[in-house]
Amino acid sequence: MTHWPRNFLLATSLTVLPAAASTPAQRGLMVFQQVCSACHGLEHVDYGDMSSLGLSTDEIRKWAADQQLPNGTDDNGDPKTRPATATDPILSPYPNEAVGRLANHGLLPPDLSRLALTLPGGAGEIRQILLSYAPAPAGVKLDEGRYYNTALKWKHIGMPPPLQDGMLTYPDGTQATPAQMAGDVSAFLDWVAHPHQAERRRIGIYVLAYLALMALLTFLLQRRIWKGRR
Amino acid sequence: MTSPLKTPDTDPRGWFERRLPVMSLLRREYVAFPMPRNLNALWSFGAFLIVTMVFMVASGLFLAINYTPDITQAFASVEAIDRQIPSGWFIRSLHMGGVTMLFACLYIHIGRSLWYGSYKAPRELLWLTGLGLMLMVMVTAFAGYVLPWGQMSYWGATVILNAVHAIPLIGQPLSELLLGGDTLGNVALHRLFVLHFTMAFAILAAIALHVAALHVVKSNNPSGIDPVSPSQTLPFHPYYTSRDGFALCLFLMVYAGLVFFLPDLLTLADNYVQANPLVTPRDIRPEWYFAPFYAILRAVPSRLGGLLLASGSLAVLFVLPWLDRSAVRPATRRPMVRLSLPLAFAAFILLGIAGMHAPTPAWLLASRVAMAWWFIHFLLVMPLASEREMSS
Amino acid sequence: MTQSETPPSSDGTRRRDLLATGTVVLGCAGACALAVPFVESLKNPAATPLSDRLLHVDLSSLTPGQDMTLRWRDWPVFIQHRTPEMLAALQAPDHLATLRDADSKVLQQPKDATNWHRSVRPEYGVLIGVCTHLGCVPSFEKPGSTPEAKGGYFCPCHGSHFDAAGRVARRAPAPCNLPVPPVTFLSDTKLRIGHSAGDPGFSMSDIQQI
Ligand code: HEM
Ligand code: FES
Repeated sequence: MTHWPRNFLLATSLTVLPAAASTPAQRGLMVFQQVCSACHGLEHVDYGDMSSLGLSTDEIRKWAADQQLPNGTDDNGDPKTRPATATDPILSPYPNEAVGRLANHGLLPPDLSRLALTLPGGAGEIRQILLSYAPAPAGVKLDEGRYYNTALKWKHIGMPPPLQDGMLTYPDGTQATPAQMAGDVSAFLDWVAHPHQAERRRIGIYVLAYLALMALLTFLLQRRIWKGRR
Repeated sequence: MTSPLKTPDTDPRGWFERRLPVMSLLRREYVAFPMPRNLNALWSFGAFLIVTMVFMVASGLFLAINYTPDITQAFASVEAIDRQIPSGWFIRSLHMGGVTMLFACLYIHIGRSLWYGSYKAPRELLWLTGLGLMLMVMVTAFAGYVLPWGQMSYWGATVILNAVHAIPLIGQPLSELLLGGDTLGNVALHRLFVLHFTMAFAILAAIALHVAALHVVKSNNPSGIDPVSPSQTLPFHPYYTSRDGFALCLFLMVYAGLVFFLPDLLTLADNYVQANPLVTPRDIRPEWYFAPFYAILRAVPSRLGGLLLASGSLAVLFVLPWLDRSAVRPATRRPMVRLSLPLAFAAFILLGIAGMHAPTPAWLLASRVAMAWWFIHFLLVMPLASEREMSS
Repeated sequence: MTQSETPPSSDGTRRRDLLATGTVVLGCAGACALAVPFVESLKNPAATPLSDRLLHVDLSSLTPGQDMTLRWRDWPVFIQHRTPEMLAALQAPDHLATLRDADSKVLQQPKDATNWHRSVRPEYGVLIGVCTHLGCVPSFEKPGSTPEAKGGYFCPCHGSHFDAAGRVARRAPAPCNLPVPPVTFLSDTKLRIGHSAGDPGFSMSDIQQI
């Protein structure tokens, strides 16, 4: 709501780009795959949805096949798993909430599907949080599993600093600095939180053009009909 | 042109007409129908409302095809519509943007009727069917907002159902009927889903009633004086069809702007967090179209009082044709109303803005002043103005 | 209220007609375009190439003459381990004469199953168990269970007969052979349903009748 001027500018400037997302979001997907997905899921997003980010069918199939999903129980009642497919959701790595909390000092890593929309400050705030870790100043004592982070109101967060310099290699040669990765992954999460946005704007331009033409035609028509009638 | 009713039975049109005279009915009511010559753009909003309702019903049907009314799946099914169903994002945006367009048009349509005195004799029933429509649209919008089962759905519905519960006498049975359980859960979600689409079709029927009433008493006009001779009117087609067509294109451009470029402008982001009965969002607000009434609810330091005044703010509209006894229709020709009514409009807008802000003392004060003016205008100024006009 | 209300000048009228017709035609075109996303939303999402789910099957416990039924993409899938007698019966000339489409000319199977046994390996048959008549599930006639049973399928709904390779008998109401899904043998006893190494471009939506 508070972002509408920015959104409006984006809306009018981005429509000339192709429907596929720009490269920061694609690099951000790599960061998600290799870093964030260790703790977070995108449970409303399917692997196959990545095709509109520019991933090929094979890349999607391969990524999905590397992930295991719960698949009922075997004859002994023990949980079974199966490889994910393109139409499966990108689930959290934890089979349930209790396991997720147990692994994170009682806190559950939130799902990221809509985080860039629901977090006040949006994608910019995600980037800010990722870059605002610092050693706790003298005198500040944090509970176990809490990390000093100046982006938050209470100056601490339950997520350990996830990004380290050079922790991954971008295929396009971009240097994987924390600032680079934080920017990329927040671009990716912004893309995820606004499904079909590029397509929406592209089609919107055509719809507006059509309606403008219709407005012109109907304006001429009604002026002709009303001539000398007022 | 000879009437098809008089042609021999060998003419298929004549044969049909004598058995089911729809063509002549359409001709009479939508082609030759006499309209005042001097209507302005505010008379196009009724057409916008009909078109928006058509969009709402069409998109609603296709959403219902993919929606699951179950508290464990509702949120995910809506996410799937936005993400995986082909063109689902478009259909959903059409529905969500449509609500905003519908309420905006409703409020302007009502404002037009207030300004030009269209509620006065002989149009009282037209006015009342319109107000009935507004209440139906409100109930439908409330029920629909619960369906995605986000945080705002859940807590908005909780607050409203508790408000219903607090109504003396009928409140408790009514809220229990809607809830069907101890708290908001699966049973309530099912009931609200059924209520939502049943009301949508009931609205279509009520629109037919509203338009039928319009065609009996005919349109008012900015001068407030009904045309007396045919030379003062023009046939609906092609004069007003072409003008409404042009206006509709402009209207659809605004609608499309909302759907394609600003889908998040008027929605509350918290509703993209799945409902959690254990955590109330810190910043709970209604959608903009309910904000004026929400502001009244908050501005009154008593639960029952707030409910009474919020519903009273609508109730005054129902009795308005009898509060305002003057024969003069448009506010432009009534000095007192010309001052007081714009202030009442401003009060409504101010209440809406206040309802979307945190209840700081300043906003509470503004709400109270605005609310007071709303009631003063309808309950004091209108009877007084008509008294004075009638005696002079 | 009548024709006299329209502007009298003849060339004015003509221009208006062009304008009026053009506006109405364009308006209708817009309305039709608006219907496209609505129709699109009704498409079967499982019909996209991405959604060919893979199912891995272990055949080691399936002895010759046995059959099993699995679920794949909500369809019943029949897998049979054929005996030499069943294979011989599939090739008998007087049997072939009773079939509607003995050479699998209709596209009801991937390329690597377009052969006399309608499967990748002759000794295993994999079929989608949906009758091509009106969609019932045929039942397997285990070889030797009755004097005529040669390991074919019989549909109880309207009496269609299929042989062990899923080829439909001419006297039956069903028009086509049973569909064959795309499969790949990963080893002698490991089968993957959903993708065919011999016909990688094949998708279930290519099948003519299912
Ligand atoms: C879904 C809701 C509604 C629809 C579809 C609708 C539709 C229409 C239409 C098509 C007209 C004729 C065109 C025009 O004058 O704008 C009309 C007239 C009118 N409507 Fe509505 N309406 C709705 C709600 C309301 C409401 C809520 C009210 C007031 C409480 C109302 C009061 C009137 C009045 C008084 C007129 C006659 C106005 C005049 O001629 O001055 N309507 N309506
Ligand atoms: S459905 Fe199988 S024979 Fe009719």
